[in-house]
Amino acid sequence: MAIKELVEGGVAITQAMGVTFKHLLQKPITVQSPDWEPIAVYPRFRGRHELRRYENGLERCIGCQLCEASCPTGAIYVEAAENDPENPVSPGERYAKVYEINLLRCIFCGACQDACPTEAIVLGHNYTLANYDRRDFLLTKEELLNPPEPNVIIRAEE
Amino acid sequence: MGERVTITIDGKEYQVPAGITLTRAAEMVGIDIPIFCDHPRLEPVGACRQCLVEIETPRGTRLTTACTTPVSDGLVVHYNSPRAKAAREATLEFILAHHPLDCPICDKGGECPLQDQAMKHGPAESHFIEEKTHKNKRHPLSDLIMLDQERCVVCWRCIRYLEEWEFKPQLGLYHRGGETVIDTHPNRPLAAKTSGNIIDICPVGALTNRVARFQYRPWSWGPPSRTLEPVPTVCVHCSLGCNLQVDVRTHRVRRIKARENSAVNDMWICDKGRFAQGFFHSEERIRQPLVRENGELRPATWDEALQRVVDGLYRWAQENPEAVGAMGSPKVGNEANYLLQKFFRLMVDTNNIDHRWGGDVLADPRGLSAVEAIHQADVIVLVGVDLAEEMPVFANFYKRAVRRNNAQAFVIHPRRTEDADFGTYIPVLPGSEALLLNALMALMVDQEPFAAQTRRLPGGRDFVTWVKEHRPEDISALVGVSQETLEALARTLAEAQRPLVLYGPDVVRGFQAEANRAALDNLELLLGKDRVAYIAPDANSVGARDMGVLPHRLPGHQDVTDAEVRERFRRYWGSEVPEEAGLTYQGMLEAAADGRLKALFVMGADPADEGPWAEEALKALDVLVVQDVFMTRTALLADVVLPASTYAESDATFTNVERRVQRAPRAFRPERDSRPDWAILVDLAKRWPIREAGESKRKGRKGKRARRSPQARWNYTRPQDVLREIARVVPQYEGLTWDALGEGGRQWPTDRVARPRRFVQVTPRFQAADPEYPYYLVAERFLFDHTKMTRTTEELHHVLEPAVVRMHPEDIYDLGIQEGSTVEVVSRHASVALPVQADERVQRGTVAIAYSLPGSPAEALMGPEGPGVMVAVRTTGPAPRVVNILD
Repeated sequence: MAIKELVEGGVAITQAMGVTFKHLLQKPITVQSPDWEPIAVYPRFRGRHELRRYENGLERCIGCQLCEASCPTGAIYVEAAENDPENPVSPGERYAKVYEINLLRCIFCGACQDACPTEAIVLGHNYTLANYDRRDFLLTKEELLNPPEPNVIIRAEE
Repeated sequence: MGERVTITIDGKEYQVPAGITLTRAAEMVGIDIPIFCDHPRLEPVGACRQCLVEIETPRGTRLTTACTTPVSDGLVVHYNSPRAKAAREATLEFILAHHPLDCPICDKGGECPLQDQAMKHGPAESHFIEEKTHKNKRHPLSDLIMLDQERCVVCWRCIRYLEEWEFKPQLGLYHRGGETVIDTHPNRPLAAKTSGNIIDICPVGALTNRVARFQYRPWSWGPPSRTLEPVPTVCVHCSLGCNLQVDVRTHRVRRIKARENSAVNDMWICDKGRFAQGFFHSEERIRQPLVRENGELRPATWDEALQRVVDGLYRWAQENPEAVGAMGSPKVGNEANYLLQKFFRLMVDTNNIDHRWGGDVLADPRGLSAVEAIHQADVIVLVGVDLAEEMPVFANFYKRAVRRNNAQAFVIHPRRTEDADFGTYIPVLPGSEALLLNALMALMVDQEPFAAQTRRLPGGRDFVTWVKEHRPEDISALVGVSQETLEALARTLAEAQRPLVLYGPDVVRGFQAEANRAALDNLELLLGKDRVAYIAPDANSVGARDMGVLPHRLPGHQDVTDAEVRERFRRYWGSEVPEEAGLTYQGMLEAAADGRLKALFVMGADPADEGPWAEEALKALDVLVVQDVFMTRTALLADVVLPASTYAESDATFTNVERRVQRAPRAFRPERDSRPDWAILVDLAKRWPIREAGESKRKGRKGKRARRSPQARWNYTRPQDVLREIARVVPQYEGLTWDALGEGGRQWPTDRVARPRRFVQVTPRFQAADPEYPYYLVAERFLFDHTKMTRTTEELHHVLEPAVVRMHPEDIYDLGIQEGSTVEVVSRHASVALPVQADERVQRGTVAIAYSLPGSPAEALMGPEGPGVMVAVRTTGPAPRVVNILD
């Protein structure tokens, strides 16, 4: 009885270790992200938000607050102000004086970029969103306008 | 609404009132005809062509504009016929042909009739592919209103509003066809006092509010904390109590617009009510309690500050309650005013309770019978009240009564006010109103209906003999009014069906107050009940009186010297009410000056502004507590400053000029450490030391034992709890609850306050001419004064009343000076230096200075005397340039 159990146990261990040894020889699927290796994402991937500018440097955002209104979780806060005609921030009369996104609330649904009439707010490809401080999850307009270059490879749509 | 006619719309018959237009009729029966130029309060013009419908005529069906078609019996209308629909779609497409469609940055987007109607009635797409016409998108019409010419659909609503309600054609159309634009006329600024209403009635985003520009979106969706919350409230700038909508987002006031209340302001508000929104969140607000230490005010905790207040007041309450006084505020709601007088009557045991222009003004508590009365009046007499400056919306009603209802107007005022342009001007010197009115009544008593009144009412016969001694021929020489004018007025009043006489606070205060009030009361007896009305100065002047913030009146205008009344209040409040009438506002300042008053609690008032004498008096106080929103001149002298919050930060009720109690609900949370007035008073009451059972409130006086400690009755957790008590204690407010007031408010009945019932004889006093002070001072309230309420909104700075002394050009010439040079105006109380401005509206021999200018020169010159002060004008050095407000 005892001998039978001993043999069966030995077989099981050998099988299990077999899996281990097999994978020991394979290349790992873990990606050393974000610092060493880029990751492949689809173009439609919805990561960290960015605010875009026109080529002439003017901000696309006109502070219309449609993104704020469309946001299902209330993650966006916009305050608009009037442009100085001499020194405008955006084309037209209105610009966003304050633009904040609370990443702890955001569910990355993309409703804001759908609502945006000027394609100013877009969800970028940056997915490295970890932070040490809760307050750092509140993206300011400055941070949104100057997003970090994400370490990604854009893969083709299938 | 008498006659009704039957009309047929799309095969269905409707009964509608005769005499209205088809658009109004359709609105009534629930058919939504799209309109732009048509407006329920403006005359039809048929400018936009959006309301096209087909009507049947003897010559077949025909397309016509519904807004210019009056309903007639048997009118057959096809609204949804293919031809009518196609015509409306085409019109909308044309209107949109040049519309920039910049809704995302437009302040109207979300509440825009053009958006709504394009969605409802417009074609889905446009035939036009051409470039749109470009015009000026940023064309300021004034400091307050921005015009976007591209968005304008040329409906003329703004032009018509200014013409039909303000009677000031300050906007016009320029150029033609597609190039047509709205603009101001050259050198004629858009300066109407209610110009902001054109923003509300603009059917597109062409006219927008520059103060609130881009601070809000009118949508009411999105997350609850961020969405724009429209709070239905009332305005606190004058006693009309216009209904407002205050839009709040993230606990900040974003925009103020008019709220419709057909009984009060219809759908209009003045520019002060609309644009003065800076004070809510001004940097100048007091945001934490301050206490004086070593002569300096320093920040303190609420605990410390409240304890200091209680200690200071309690010390004097123990020593001598008569040395303690309290000033309430006609700009604060009923609840806080009620608690203030309750606290000082019960805890401190004093009747020294009053508010500015309270006990010193012999006002009739009834006020106006109804705002509507002005629409119905056929003769309007204004005595010492300048509607155009003091209550611009009401002034528009007055102007319309004159121009549209053919009412006859007479303006008795020391200055030829704007109101006088709409009627006959009768000049009067400050303080001689009684002379003039008695002379008028001397002419009236011989004529029928009035002669009958004098025979019918008590004291009438004696009055006739007495009043006839005021011979019009003498008076007219004395006050400079022709006898013919007085005769014409007497005759007009005799023929009038619904005359209305309105008088302001300055008529019934000062040395002539008794005689003036008596004359006005006699006039009411002659003309009939509610035909003479007191126009209260401030938003809650009426309410402060109702709440008993008066030295001689308990809540509900009940006499404090009446033992029966006091007994009733003892039962309500569970504690004794002091017997003797207290000191008035001015009396308290005078008592402070000669050391009889030692402690003063000031809520929402600025007595230091009354001039140097008042400032000195306040400095002599032992304890001065100020509870206010701003660091006023009085607050700078205070021992403890308690930061109160504005009316929009707590629920409150205000009572307007027609005794309408209206709700002003909390719109946003109190700024920083500020707290609502009522809550501060409740806290003070709770901290008040509890007396031993059986111990009298006053030393050495045996009083009845209070059954419960007064604190037990201070269990208010919300302002509504206070309102509930008011409804129990104040007979006029019986049964009022927060919910019952609703959004339109409720008037209290006049049958429970005294009204004149017999003729009285009070002989006017004559002011002896004083060669040293040859000029009369005319002090007037202007809409855009320099109080913090207006000054904190930067956009209003250009329209603020200039700090000048106005004189008749010939008087200036006689003085041998130039307009613009600085003169010294001297009275017995003060001397002020101001640039002089020529103004033909000012009578010869008078100098006019506005109230509430920087440093309050008018108040200082008046001193404790009130209206009728004589001044001298002395010329001084070289002339500085006067800043022209039109520049």
